[in-house]
Amino acid sequence: MGRYVGRKLLALPLVLLGVSFLVFGAIRLLPGDPARIMAGDQATGEAIAGMRHRLGLDKPFLLQYGLFLTQAAQGDFGISIRSKQPVLSEVTRRFPYTVALASSAYGFAIVIGTVAGVVAAVRGGWVDHLVMAMTILAASTANFWLALVGMMVFAVELDWLPLLGAGSPAHYVLPTAALGLLPTAIIARMTRSGMLDALRQDHVRTARAKGLRETVVTLRHALRNALIPIVTIVGLNFGGLLGGAVVTETVFNWPGIGSLLVDSVRDRDYPMIEALVLLSVFSVVIVNLIADAAIALLDPRLRLG
Amino acid sequence: MRTEITRADFVRLGLAVATAPLLQRVARAAAAAAAELAIMQTEAPRSMDPADQTATLTSGVLSPMYEGLTKFDENRQPGPSLATAWKTDDAGTNWSFDLRPGVKFHDGTPCDADAVAASFQRHLDTQRGLASSGRFRAVIADVRANGAGVVFTLKSPYPAMLRLLATANASVVSPTADKTGTLGRKAVGTGPFRFVEWASGQYVRQEANPDYWGAKPSLAALKWTWTAEPGVMNMAVHTGDADIVNPLPPAFAGQLKSQWKIGLQNHDGSAVYWVSLNTQMKPLDDVRVRQALNYATDRAALVRSLLFGYATPANSPLAPVDLFYDASQPGYPYDPDKAKALLREAGVPDGFSMNVAVQAPQSNIAEALQGMWANVGVKLDVLRMESGVWVQAAFGDPEQKAKQGLFSALASWSTGFIDPDQQFRPLYGSKNWSPTGPNLGFYKNDTLDALLDRAAATMDPAQRQPMYVQAQKIVVDDAPHVLLYIPKDLAAIRSDVQGVWMLPGGQLIVSSARRA
Amino acid sequence: MRRRGNLILGGALVALIVAAGLLAPVIAGSAAFAQNLGNAMLPPSAAHWLGTDQYGRDLFARIVYGARISLFEVALGVGMAMAAGIPAGLVAGWFGALTDEVIGWSTNILFAFPGIILAILIVSVLGPGLFNLLLAIAIFSVPVYVRLTRNLTLALKQIDYVEAARSTGASTARVLFQHVLRNALPPLLVQATLTAGTVILAAASLSFLGLGAQPPLPEWGAMMSSARDLLGVDNDLSLFPGLAITVAVLGFNLLGDGVRDLLDPHRGVRG
Repeated sequence: MGRYVGRKLLALPLVLLGVSFLVFGAIRLLPGDPARIMAGDQATGEAIAGMRHRLGLDKPFLLQYGLFLTQAAQGDFGISIRSKQPVLSEVTRRFPYTVALASSAYGFAIVIGTVAGVVAAVRGGWVDHLVMAMTILAASTANFWLALVGMMVFAVELDWLPLLGAGSPAHYVLPTAALGLLPTAIIARMTRSGMLDALRQDHVRTARAKGLRETVVTLRHALRNALIPIVTIVGLNFGGLLGGAVVTETVFNWPGIGSLLVDSVRDRDYPMIEALVLLSVFSVVIVNLIADAAIALLDPRLRLG
Repeated sequence: MRTEITRADFVRLGLAVATAPLLQRVARAAAAAAAELAIMQTEAPRSMDPADQTATLTSGVLSPMYEGLTKFDENRQPGPSLATAWKTDDAGTNWSFDLRPGVKFHDGTPCDADAVAASFQRHLDTQRGLASSGRFRAVIADVRANGAGVVFTLKSPYPAMLRLLATANASVVSPTADKTGTLGRKAVGTGPFRFVEWASGQYVRQEANPDYWGAKPSLAALKWTWTAEPGVMNMAVHTGDADIVNPLPPAFAGQLKSQWKIGLQNHDGSAVYWVSLNTQMKPLDDVRVRQALNYATDRAALVRSLLFGYATPANSPLAPVDLFYDASQPGYPYDPDKAKALLREAGVPDGFSMNVAVQAPQSNIAEALQGMWANVGVKLDVLRMESGVWVQAAFGDPEQKAKQGLFSALASWSTGFIDPDQQFRPLYGSKNWSPTGPNLGFYKNDTLDALLDRAAATMDPAQRQPMYVQAQKIVVDDAPHVLLYIPKDLAAIRSDVQGVWMLPGGQLIVSSARRA
Repeated sequence: MRRRGNLILGGALVALIVAAGLLAPVIAGSAAFAQNLGNAMLPPSAAHWLGTDQYGRDLFARIVYGARISLFEVALGVGMAMAAGIPAGLVAGWFGALTDEVIGWSTNILFAFPGIILAILIVSVLGPGLFNLLLAIAIFSVPVYVRLTRNLTLALKQIDYVEAARSTGASTARVLFQHVLRNALPPLLVQATLTAGTVILAAASLSFLGLGAQPPLPEWGAMMSSARDLLGVDNDLSLFPGLAITVAVLGFNLLGDGVRDLLDPHRGVRG
């Protein structure tokens, strides 16, 4: 287990190097010219050439990449073309908002999803049907549309919740629901089938036979087994969650890195896109690593590799 | 136990739902008590340096913090601001300005003649590459301090000088802040509000400037936010998250009429929307084909259905608010039969295929043109592009456009409000072919070029007027553009906010706003 | 019992979408494209069952026609991902060693990109449009098929009759495609059905970000995302395409679940 994590950690810089080259190359293939964009629609050709020089975009590709790597290695990701701020300070200011929203969405998904899954598995019958129907429905709806409708109902018509931005805890409710819905559905389904499997297994039967109270049996043994698929899903789905954050943050004006990425792609803010994509890849790899380690802890019999 | 878990959970959920509206009200009350005005626009500001951007909405954000030598009053006429008086010589190429004494920038630097001259010299310095400089370099040859005032030497007489100096790009910036290189991020001007914070992805906050030389603002603070979602803008003004949303999508304007809490600002705009036709590509090189496309366009239907009536069909390259606009230009009435006849004459009786590059917000207009032009046999491919990609495609040179097969581009131009020259020579002058300028279809008419040069250097309005009427006629007849419409400048403002107005083109002026 | 229910309901919904897609030219015809600005945004009526859109086009006709486009999306998005992922997975699982390492590494790098973010980059490079959008979706779905195929191949390699075919001297390609692939196909098809819904939703998300189908194609995601600007003025225009997406995704999900449960009632298949 220690060796496995160690190997993955060693591989991390290689993955990041590969990703950085892909991203750096792809970004420079992007049609559209940041100098043109910054100079504005009503700017002259001369102003644009000046802007291009100012941004260092007139240097050869490999030189630009080399400069990027050496500086990135020292924690310097350059200056954002759009905001004229160091990329790193901009990203560190906004990343916590995404972490907060993602954690809140996962927290919501794990709590509601697990409860729904356990209830569905233990109760069975119409409760099971209802929960399963809702999860399938939740996994079949486009989240941006649901988010807009949610805003309209809860923020405008009922005036219960704030519409936009990230201030108080109340600001979290709608974005969390919009982003957490899909993982909730997946986790509910995984928990339910994990529970059903576990309830059939020997050690649960034994525990029951030993006269332990049923709820204790259910929770301690079965849930522990059902946790493995949940953790797996949290790991596997994290990339999807970050993707969902792009859309959710855009709708709710959430000042995280998802909305920043959309803006940066639109403005062709090269240094910013590079840093953001690297950061998201980095987080996906790390979260997966943690999930793998957690699974190994939960079930030492499970072989990894 | 099992049921208890769910019950406890429900209680917690219920608590959250129950307290949320309360928190909501508390937050709102706090905001209102601070006498802060919240303004929401469709895009984030591009820079805090007024010279380094050309976006109307950014100019709106900057205008409370900066001032120029002149400024527009509520009748859209230029009047004194940092300059108290001015005079020009007989030739019209020398302008001298007296400066308001004792004015200080927000950083304490005195706003004297040297500071003003330095602010304009930035535009003349080609090394700086500031986004809006082209407009000034075309007109101004030199600027220098002269005692307590400044003197401009122009390249040729320029009748719209005072209006040009009233634009946001001509704002005077602190030379101290400019030297430190932080102006793009932190605004330092002389205006009634001063810069507090630009929180990335969230807001720009400004507070009243206690040392302002003029009438002190009534509001304590301004907060500018932005979203690209039209639906969200509409919701924000309804919930009070924004006191003002600008521009308001026309779809929502009709609804506001029935809302007593929210008022509609509805002004004649200056942005003329058009499809620029590539006059170097077959069959658009034939004037009859270009006229046919104009006849095939049902402007009234466009305005009625897609702009919900909040626009004026275009009959001239100038907007009705522009100087010398000629209402008597016939334009092109909707006449598909005439369009078909012209296409027959031009040798394309069965129509042809072409494309149009369009940015996402206007793709609905292009989609409607697609339907209209299909009726006369013209198959229009809509190329919907992100703004950056659009700019690169639309501003290609003739070779690039021939290679990529780009037939036309849909866009707008709004600086005719400063002077008709700012609309005519960039869009239709042969020296402004893309990529140098916005003559995107490589239109060239020697008679027009000569006429425009003469008109731009003529000081007497009575002499200029017939020249620009003639120019409007030439452009309409030659049809380098399919002229579409001039949208109204719309903004939604909550009823307790007063004293807000707009410049043609949609720039908000909020410096003298107050709450009722 | 319930499982059979999933299969039947899912099958019926998918059949409905397929029927609508096949019959679209007959049912919807030119009504899906013919504009009439004078009839814009009409409420539902006998003439226009779901009303008309911003351009006066019949919304019902467009939604029916959209089924055709969604099927095309599913076929192409899933098809391209399988076409690239399955051979790579077969080769990696069969030859192992260095080949496996290289392919494994490439999928790891690809897999580390959050799907939508990768798609945003790809579509931005290639330019917006339905095909480029599907290509982007296919690229980010490839790793799933590579991994699944590789694992199935590894397992099948050990099975007697594959070993037997190998020892009779059949060519590698023949063994791979005739024996291994044939047996790996059912779980792969289940995976395909389950990803079908994801393809439609991903397309809708990218349309929302302005990277989707170009007008006038009645793609559901594009319809919904352009109509969201009218939310509060005409809600039907985004509601109905949204429902269509939900029905289609629901259909594919139920069908996938049902088939999976039929094949193996105890274990879920995941990539």
